[in-house]
Amino acid sequence: MEQFITHKVMLVLALIAVIAPFLAFLTYALGGKRQKSGVVSTVAIAISLLLSLFLAISAWNRELLHVRYDWFTIGTNTVTVGILVNNLSLVMLVLVPLVALPVHIYSFSYMKGDTGLRRYWMYLSLFCFAMLGLVVADSLFLLYMCWELVGFASYLLIGFWYERDAAIKANKKAFLINRLGDLGFLIGLAILFSEFGTWDLAQLFGHDGLIAKEGGADASYLTWAGLAFFLAAMAKSAQFPLHIWLPDAMEGPTAVSSLIHAATMVAAGVFLLARVSPLFNDTVLMTIATVGSITAFVAASIALTQRDIKRVLAFSTISQLGFMMVAIGIGQIGTAIFHLVTHAFFKCLLFLCAGAVIHEIQHQKEKHKLQIDPQDIGLMGGLRKTMPSTFVLSLIGAAALAGLPLTAGYLSKDALLIFAFEWANYQAGFWVFIPLLLMIASGMTAFYIARWLFKIFYGQNRLSLSIGKAIHYHEAPVLMRWPMVLLAGCCLFFVFSYNPLVFEDTWLLNGLERTDLLQRVNIYHTVIPAAINSVSIVLIFLAWRWYAKGKYPLKGSGMLYDWSYHQYGLNRLYEKGVVKPLLFVSGALYRFDVKIIDGLVLLVANLVELSGRLAAWVDRYVLDGAVNGVGNLAQGIGMLLRNGRKGKVQRYLLGMLIVFLLMIIYANFI
Amino acid sequence: MAIELFVFYFLAFIAVGSAALLVAMRNIVRSLFLFFLTLFALAGLYVFALADFVALAQVIIYVGGVLVLMLFAFMLSNKTLLNDVKEGTFGLPRWPALLVVILLGTIMGYTFLQFASAPPQWIRDAEQENRIITTTDNTVHYLGVNTMTRYLLPFELVSVFLMMALMGAAHMARKGGKS
Amino acid sequence: MIPLDHFLIVSALLFAIGLYATLTKKNTIMVLVGVELMINASVLNLVAFGRYDKVLFGGQVFALFVIVLAAASVAVALGIVLQVYRHFKSVDPTDFDSLKD
Repeated sequence: MEQFITHKVMLVLALIAVIAPFLAFLTYALGGKRQKSGVVSTVAIAISLLLSLFLAISAWNRELLHVRYDWFTIGTNTVTVGILVNNLSLVMLVLVPLVALPVHIYSFSYMKGDTGLRRYWMYLSLFCFAMLGLVVADSLFLLYMCWELVGFASYLLIGFWYERDAAIKANKKAFLINRLGDLGFLIGLAILFSEFGTWDLAQLFGHDGLIAKEGGADASYLTWAGLAFFLAAMAKSAQFPLHIWLPDAMEGPTAVSSLIHAATMVAAGVFLLARVSPLFNDTVLMTIATVGSITAFVAASIALTQRDIKRVLAFSTISQLGFMMVAIGIGQIGTAIFHLVTHAFFKCLLFLCAGAVIHEIQHQKEKHKLQIDPQDIGLMGGLRKTMPSTFVLSLIGAAALAGLPLTAGYLSKDALLIFAFEWANYQAGFWVFIPLLLMIASGMTAFYIARWLFKIFYGQNRLSLSIGKAIHYHEAPVLMRWPMVLLAGCCLFFVFSYNPLVFEDTWLLNGLERTDLLQRVNIYHTVIPAAINSVSIVLIFLAWRWYAKGKYPLKGSGMLYDWSYHQYGLNRLYEKGVVKPLLFVSGALYRFDVKIIDGLVLLVANLVELSGRLAAWVDRYVLDGAVNGVGNLAQGIGMLLRNGRKGKVQRYLLGMLIVFLLMIIYANFI
Repeated sequence: MAIELFVFYFLAFIAVGSAALLVAMRNIVRSLFLFFLTLFALAGLYVFALADFVALAQVIIYVGGVLVLMLFAFMLSNKTLLNDVKEGTFGLPRWPALLVVILLGTIMGYTFLQFASAPPQWIRDAEQENRIITTTDNTVHYLGVNTMTRYLLPFELVSVFLMMALMGAAHMARKGGKS
Repeated sequence: MIPLDHFLIVSALLFAIGLYATLTKKNTIMVLVGVELMINASVLNLVAFGRYDKVLFGGQVFALFVIVLAAASVAVALGIVLQVYRHFKSVDPTDFDSLKD
């Protein structure tokens, strides 16, 4: 088999795996309006899955596959394109289609009857292509292109139901915040290119790469580059305080949320950091760990009180991404990726379960013509008896999220926490707050997911009670159930390790991490899993008493509750702290312009008119022009500062030109 | 030599002068006819750069095609397009734009002068090895051979692109098209 | 033979004038004319430099391509102008601001 499957063949297979969804995208894009069935997309993603599985089996832990071609040359630096497949990309290469395939199948049933089906499949295929491309890209430039493309596909899919106002607002928000991150990415790219003159990942970050060499580049520049890449990852992976777009992104179809906003795209930030990890020095790593732990804590505490079935999961995603960021920050790349993989499976599963519930309630809503929000978990309850398989599947997902034994989540979460404690032990005492925050967040995770589960599936059928009419739910259709079963299978421990209790045996970690780290060297490896799980179980029991038995002891209001329910008031803070001041400043500039400058201008003009009757022609054609010009200039500057809210194309052009000229003057004459 | 230079200056003056006039004019029809003049003068300048075929193409495509197209678009559309004639032949200059443009022109001119006084290596090489196009060369011949050999791919791409653009333009200009 | 810098200066002037037209004109067709002026200025540069390139002939060939593409762009742009005029009942580019926030 070795001599049969050469290097080249494997690379071609990888390329086909990436291109297949793109061909599906083209089929929909060019196929006209009749092309509505999702078969093409699904077949394409299935091909990708098969090829990448094959690749993973034959290339795992072997040599690194890398091929590249010259693309274009700037000066003396040549930009290349190519494919780089190592263990890290193999994991993602399998993960993406493995999550995407169930989502595709699920969508057949979930999206049935939607008018925009062709768009849906088209965007979904585009997303899969971009994500796969991102995973195998061998240069940062190519990665950046795919990065933009996934962002764009996500934008399209969040706004898929574009006739809803909320969806349009949400996708605008997501787009703008992601722009901020892209800016970071671009700055990072620019710094690396000016320092090293290449974007090739293997050249930059390989074992004997440019970064590894001492004195290759200015250390402060590298710090800035690391922070810039982290900014990019923060926006894409919804880290505090840039996380606000992700909860709103739940306006898209649930299948999309599960694929893009839970499993794959938001993990792209973590993947990027894993790719460029040799770049980071201590400053950057500390920043990443701090931001990650704060995110994990904040998002978990917000998730405690959310009432929307998808928002709970969205905040849970943010929190878990924070966990992954901490893993990156403490230098455990493999653990971060391992948690990414397990998280992708169980979070995708949870989203699909939520989708099944929403689908059913939506159905009932239409049947009985009710005025309800189908996503409010306050209205659910008692679904355990009528939707038993959905319940069991959610239970598995929730157990994995809470990190209970026998699940994959247990392995990855414990690995992460143990490493965090070891790291804090090694650092100065102050840094112990990071694992402690993670501990608390992990406890809250167990609680909120238990609350979510019990509110939906236990207790009484609150919808029936509230409208006073008996409502009978039905089990999700087959096409929705089987994909969930597949994902649920992947949430269990045996996919990753034969030993359900000890993460050190996981093949995935052994493939990505230095194996000497995976020894059970100290007491942490035993105490922490036991402690966390006992706390979790107590909290889950508490949640069961409160929500399943209906013995809720608190009054459901109060400062802390509101604080958490309103997401720490961050959205309002942004509204007040960023948008309003900007509007105020631009308004003030405008008033200044109108009152003072124009007043001055008028005064000058009057003086000129008094003294300048003689030179009427000069006055009319030159001075007036100049005077108005001063006003216009001031107005133009004001207009530019008002962030171009006027929509005057030529002003934009003028503004761009001025900036361009200043740049030229700065670069050449100063 | 002297007469050659004189004619060059004359054409350059017409090109730049009529261009300056056309942006200063308020009346659009007049501006378009001045544009016509600029394009003709430019074609003459191309001849001085020993690009006679390009000059020809300029006359045929621009003067014959583009300008007529513009005039047609203009005449066919509503009358209010034409009713732009306000008092005065010249509009007031718009200072911010003018300042910026003058600044840009100065920078470009300065850079060009510097550039020409110290030409890059390939130009000096060409001068030394006598690879400059001279007045006796049959440029159309070279042009044809190169287009069909070295530049065949761009040529084909341009042709496909042109077809797409024309189809698109025809589709868009259609009356009662979906807008 | 006319020196290179003469051509370059003329093209710089034409480019600046075209830019001014693009920036200030209140009629979209005149904005288009400004763009065409800028394109012509660059074509002038192409042919002026092309004189030093007898072997590859890149300057003149691409000057031709640019002229052809400019013609195509004019055709499309005029189509757009007509459509926009139908929609907004105006050809003033400052009136096309429905995409502003």
